[in-house]
Amino acid sequence: MSLPFRLCLVVFASLAAPGELLAGPVVGKLELPPVPERPPVTTRGFLDRTENPLAPARGVVVTPYMIVVLEGAEKPGSPGQVNWDLVGESFSRPVIGAPVGAEVVIKNTSKTARTLTAAEDPKLVPAGPINPTGPKSFRVNEVKVYTIGDADAPHLKGKVVVVNTPFVSNVDDNGKFEFADVPEGSYKLRIFYKDAWLEVVTDVKVEKKGKTEVNPKVPAFPAGKK
Amino acid sequence: MFLAKLWFFLVALVAAVALTVALVLPRPAQRTLVAEEQQRLAVACGVIDILLGDDARNRVELAGAFARTQEIVTALEGASSAASIDEARMKQVRDVGDAVMKTIQGSRKPDFAMLIDRRGRVVARVRLDENDFGDIAAGRPIVDDALAGYLRDDLWTQNGTMYFVSAAPVIKRDPPIAYVGAIVLGHQVTNALASKLVSSLNVDVGFHLGKDDVAGSKTLSLDHVPLLDAVKKLSGGNDLSQDCQAQKPIEISTGKEDYTAVVARLPGEAAVKGAFYSVFIKRPAAVGFSGTLKAVTQSDLGFGSFPWPIVGGSFLLILAVGIGLMFIESDRPLKRLAADAVQLAKGEKERLGEDEHPGKFGSIARSVNINIDKLGREAKTAKKDLDQLLGPAPDGSLGTIDLLATALPPSRPGGPAPAVAPPPSDFRFHDPGPGPAPAPPRPAPPSFPRPGTPPPLQRPGTPPPTSLAAPMSLGAAGPMSLGDSLDDDILGSGPVTPASDAGSAGNVDPYFKSVFDQFLSVKKSCGEPTSGLTYAKFSEKLVKNRHDLMAKTGCKEVRFTVYVKDGKAALKATPVKED
Repeated sequence: MSLPFRLCLVVFASLAAPGELLAGPVVGKLELPPVPERPPVTTRGFLDRTENPLAPARGVVVTPYMIVVLEGAEKPGSPGQVNWDLVGESFSRPVIGAPVGAEVVIKNTSKTARTLTAAEDPKLVPAGPINPTGPKSFRVNEVKVYTIGDADAPHLKGKVVVVNTPFVSNVDDNGKFEFADVPEGSYKLRIFYKDAWLEVVTDVKVEKKGKTEVNPKVPAFPAGKK
Repeated sequence: MFLAKLWFFLVALVAAVALTVALVLPRPAQRTLVAEEQQRLAVACGVIDILLGDDARNRVELAGAFARTQEIVTALEGASSAASIDEARMKQVRDVGDAVMKTIQGSRKPDFAMLIDRRGRVVARVRLDENDFGDIAAGRPIVDDALAGYLRDDLWTQNGTMYFVSAAPVIKRDPPIAYVGAIVLGHQVTNALASKLVSSLNVDVGFHLGKDDVAGSKTLSLDHVPLLDAVKKLSGGNDLSQDCQAQKPIEISTGKEDYTAVVARLPGEAAVKGAFYSVFIKRPAAVGFSGTLKAVTQSDLGFGSFPWPIVGGSFLLILAVGIGLMFIESDRPLKRLAADAVQLAKGEKERLGEDEHPGKFGSIARSVNINIDKLGREAKTAKKDLDQLLGPAPDGSLGTIDLLATALPPSRPGGPAPAVAPPPSDFRFHDPGPGPAPAPPRPAPPSFPRPGTPPPLQRPGTPPPTSLAAPMSLGAAGPMSLGDSLDDDILGSGPVTPASDAGSAGNVDPYFKSVFDQFLSVKKSCGEPTSGLTYAKFSEKLVKNRHDLMAKTGCKEVRFTVYVKDGKAALKATPVKED
């Protein structure tokens, strides 16, 4: 389990308020479709890219672009913080989820200063550059998908998916996810991929005790979609 | 002169047309020159695009070769398996990379190399930001593609510097085959690279990042506004390879020199920052007429390349036609008129022939004839005045011929010469004479004396004239009578004897005196009284009449002749021309 993934789990666990209805975790693994083809280059050089003759080209790694949420009666009480690292020419994860009202803290761990803006709301991210090692935080109060990027580095983009539930989980390279301490009840599991919610919705019934396991099947990705 | 004028009009018209053609012809040539220059510019731009593509291909191949180096594979394989990148590993990998870079031969050695592990972490940088490591390069398209197994190129910009970058995956070829990372090589866009690109194109190229110059084959301070405007117009098209052909060349200036340029966008990440390149040439100066003349070489005027026979022949033809028309319409009629005028002057003609001379020359002849007629009328008027003053001349008498009592001329002056020459009479009124000596006795006149006509007066010492055939102005000749009016004047002056009159001979003109004496004698012979007739009054009258006659006729002298008319003495004045 990668470090960012563990960090997210910790954050989400802290966001989930302990109560009388505490139950076990919800775990699962996405049944991923075949890896889609790599999309065409967006910034072509003088030449088209060519495959190397030694090994087949690697497919697109889709899991970093996915998040899974459980939507039920539980609403975010004390959303807390969501940490997001800017690690160089990309974010630590290209897509993160954040409960409504959470504070998103971006930490620049690279050696390059960036000026980040939200395409959907220019006032979301405070103005000014985020210097190396420096943080930049903002609060998301609306269920919405924000695209955070730097105009000087078009390749540098990340999505902040604001959801109206405290149960948000990333997906590891194998498609596994986990929600800790989900209260008893009925939920709907939804999957966000890249820049939109997938149509598949899985009903999840969390029992009073024990681990709940769900393995939703992800339909094929649209052709050419990364 | 009509044809000559028409000819000169045509010649002037042809000259004007030729001048217009000479002034206008350089303009299409100039346009053609500009069009050719622009075409050359577009071609050069396309060639540069091709050269940049070829250069990218070479760089990608170089990156592939670099990535296949075993030392690189081993170094990145080790780094990929490490949880974190420390400085020691960075230096170890950097040394490997530097050693590999030193083995690269040729002129296109990379300016930097970036070694990236399988996770996208920068393990080491060579020759640029060498102490930076551990950051994530994944996310940049070229790095992502290289990590996924693709070879490709891109353009990066960093701190105002542009780099042509190429990347290749680093693959462990020993089974199991696996991707262990990627390498990125960067070639800085420099003036040297720009110069090399256009070394054989006879144009210049510049690389720009928005309004900033990055590099160029020629250091110029260009006006970027038109360049950026041109780039902006290209933004609509997605196919960058068509940029060179999809625009019209633009004119830019450095302030001192003018250039024609085309622009083309650069691809890759740098495109976001407005990267483009411009190809430009110095704008050909407007040649114009003088410029065309300056450009003429000696060979252009050689017989082999210039139709001198046609030009020379045309010139001679134009000249000959012009001269011919001038001769026909001007010189020849003028010569005829001049000859006619000479004949008129010689008296061979009374008038100029009006119908013989065309056009204006006929008008001149008519004008001259009109003046001749006018003078004739004035002469007749003068004659009438003299007749009124002196009385009419005797019938059939004319001038001195009558005075000499010789045969009458058969006609007026200008007509046939008299059959018998008249007696000589070349008296000149103002001829200096030897003195008031009386006229020498004239020998028996060989003429035919008229009854009552006294012998002609002759100035003392003057040889007798041999001929009177010279023409005389008809109007100038006329009888002058001293009859009543003269006698009245004389009578009015009181009795004066000839002796007493002779006593005042201090101003006595010998000629007037002789005329006076003769007049006195004739009067006596006619039985007329002479008591009031004095020389002073007589001579005064003669002087006055002489002046009047000279003023009217323009003659030089006047001769007076005494004769008898109607039984009375009369006096006739005759104008004498010098010849």
